[in-house]
Amino acid sequence: MIRFDHVTKRYPGSAVPAVNALDLEVPDGQTMVLVGPSGCGKTTSLRMINRMIDLTEGKIFVNDQDIQQADPAKLRRGIGYVIQHAGLFPHRTIEDNIGTVPVLIGWGKQKARRRAGELMELVGLDANMARRYPHQLSGGQQQRVGVARALAADPPVLLMDEPFSAVDPIVRAILQDELLRIQAELRKTVVFVTHDVEEAIKVGDRVAVFRPGGTLAQVDPPARLLAEPVDDYVADFLGFDRGIRRLSFFPASTLELDTDPLAPDRITVADARARAKESGQSWFLVIDTERLPRGWLPVAKLDDLPASSTLAEAPVEGGGHSFHSSTDSLRAALDATILSPSGQAAGVDDDGRVVGVTSYDELLAAIHVLTSGDGDTAGGESRSA
Amino acid sequence: MNAIQSAWAWLTQAQQWSGADGIPARLIQHLEYTCIALAVAALIALPLGLLIGHTGRGGFIIVTLANLGRALPTLGLVVLAFLITNGSPAAVLVALVVLAIPPILVDTYEGVQGADRDVRDAARGMGMTASQILFRAEIPIATPLILLGLRTAAIQVVATATIAAYIGLGGLGRYIIDGLARSDYAMVGGGAMVVVALALSVQVIFVGIRRFAVPAGIRQQAQTS
Amino acid sequence: MDWGWISANRGELISLAGNNLYLALIPVVLGLVISIPLGVLSVRWGWVYPPVLSATSVIYAIPSLALFIFLIPFTGIVTSTRDLTLIIPLTLYTLATLVPNVVDGLRSVPEPVRQSATAMGFGAMRRLARVELPIAVPVVMAGLRVATVASISLVSVGELIGNGGLGFLFTDGEQRDFPTEIYAGIGLIVILALAADALLVLLGWLLTPWRRSDPGASHSTREEAAA
Repeated sequence: MIRFDHVTKRYPGSAVPAVNALDLEVPDGQTMVLVGPSGCGKTTSLRMINRMIDLTEGKIFVNDQDIQQADPAKLRRGIGYVIQHAGLFPHRTIEDNIGTVPVLIGWGKQKARRRAGELMELVGLDANMARRYPHQLSGGQQQRVGVARALAADPPVLLMDEPFSAVDPIVRAILQDELLRIQAELRKTVVFVTHDVEEAIKVGDRVAVFRPGGTLAQVDPPARLLAEPVDDYVADFLGFDRGIRRLSFFPASTLELDTDPLAPDRITVADARARAKESGQSWFLVIDTERLPRGWLPVAKLDDLPASSTLAEAPVEGGGHSFHSSTDSLRAALDATILSPSGQAAGVDDDGRVVGVTSYDELLAAIHVLTSGDGDTAGGESRSA
Repeated sequence: MNAIQSAWAWLTQAQQWSGADGIPARLIQHLEYTCIALAVAALIALPLGLLIGHTGRGGFIIVTLANLGRALPTLGLVVLAFLITNGSPAAVLVALVVLAIPPILVDTYEGVQGADRDVRDAARGMGMTASQILFRAEIPIATPLILLGLRTAAIQVVATATIAAYIGLGGLGRYIIDGLARSDYAMVGGGAMVVVALALSVQVIFVGIRRFAVPAGIRQQAQTS
Repeated sequence: MDWGWISANRGELISLAGNNLYLALIPVVLGLVISIPLGVLSVRWGWVYPPVLSATSVIYAIPSLALFIFLIPFTGIVTSTRDLTLIIPLTLYTLATLVPNVVDGLRSVPEPVRQSATAMGFGAMRRLARVELPIAVPVVMAGLRVATVASISLVSVGELIGNGGLGFLFTDGEQRDFPTEIYAGIGLIVILALAADALLVLLGWLLTPWRRSDPGASHSTREEAAA
């Protein structure tokens, strides 16, 4: 557990402190994200934890030990540190880079290299990269090495300073997912700094929003942050579409899916017309024998087709995507609905088989029920977009 | 120390300052050799360095030349020039020029090469022709290094001309060589002092030139690096 | 060009070459040993560097013969047993070349690398030895090559004040009006210098395994030394 106790950092010659009387607790085994605009003191706060910057007033405790009492070098060997451009040693191989701290604390080279191998697997790096040099790796790969290196000596605490800001958005998303996966496995105490509020919400168990001037505006789990920003500053910082983004935290599994619009492709056009008349559908979702979706068919088009032909030969429309009915969020379902030509979205299972269909009305009802509750998420917040 | 005192005494003797053997006369001789050799070397090396630097081809020649220039023994070259031409002073000057070319060539090349790729790109993008890029972008940026090359070469020539006194050249080296021959160490010391004063003056002059010739922005940039 | 003479006097030539190397390489080693701490200090305490740089500038400007001469009252004419008169100035020249290179090399270490080393718990000394100096090797090696080549060549000037290794061939050749000796002297000095340079390139290559696979690794360019 990390605890900031009335911590202030003042730089000489500056009237305003960089960090001002900060009180913050980082619970064990969780990811705490520090987020805020440039110059708000989030990076300064992070770097005070491992004494890369020394505080002016107050105390910081790591696992109940006052860091001022500890020898800085020793302290740092027990804390993992990941920075934006990795800072890998260019003159050492990947495995020796990863094994740096273990060697430093007295492991033998062989043991360190074995450990490096384990970590490479953990962060998703191919084993044959072990003997390569940093300049031979891509930016994303280098960042993975940085994370592996930070975890090598199995520190309980991991500090990450905008670790994914220097890579392109696709790689960034992949790395964020990797971090979530690793955290699920290792449950380290992570303090993560970013200026990107989306990243904060995606990655954090709790998010601490900083104001310029080094004070905290709000500290909350992401769902509550989105639901109840404490003031206009936080609301603005979160962005104008926080309502929609909040939907990421509600599972789509609560939706009741309709099976009426499903039409197997082997039925005839005549049968389809009859069904449409009966149920009042304006669109059919044509599915094959495996229950995999073929596409959307507007009922009006049925009139142009020969009555005896099957739906398999009908011209269906694609567009958009489906959502996973048990693991995706309401946000994914909403997005699928918006993109669908029919105004309805298909919920599928693990194998891609259609479970049922939702509609705007259904979605609105579900959203209303969930969000007008006490604002807490249902158990098992899903983080998929 | 005694040696310094006697050298200083020699230096301040009135007779040293007049006549054909006097310090002023020899100083002027030395300056003549230096200026001629430097000018000729610059005439050859500057355009060559600009060309190779601008086109980027022939960099290998530069590297080899730099190495050779440093490796060639000055005394040997001077004596060789003297011997194979049977004592022609012009030949010695050729040796001086040959030794002065590498520093100018190398530094000019590196100066032009060193102009940031982005700067050259922007210049081309603005529609500058090759020679415009050369004269308006690359050379101004290269000026500090070009001047450094000239300065190094100048000092090299001063030093080599001093040594060339060994095979009969005039100039300040005469004091050293003649003094060694006669075991007149006061003369040797005094001569050496004047040579050093000359070399340091050359250094100062070039620093002054730099102040005028190098655009302020580049001078400041170099100073903060 | 009298090849006969050369083969007849092989022994003498080799002995002179050996003496030349000895007189040249000792200053280089001394210079290297002194320049590293001096460079480290110049980086650690920034205010040290400008005066150091000025001093190196001045040393460069002084013609070698003059520098040798200034030392004579203290260390005497150069003989085969008294060679400080050559070694001290040549060491100064080596220092003048290497200190800026050590400083530039250390400064070339990327800041994220230095930060992450500190954050991992490297003390300052360890960081210097394990991270910063190894990364600085290419730049330092470039300076070392320059200093070595220059040193080997400059030794010959010492002949004018007593002993100049292969420089003997120049004065002797001049006295005897025998160009072959001159060619031999020049040739041997150039060969020795280029061979030493090549060896240093090899040494540099051996010390930097990480650059072998890097096509972007360029030979270092000299930076402007502010006067």
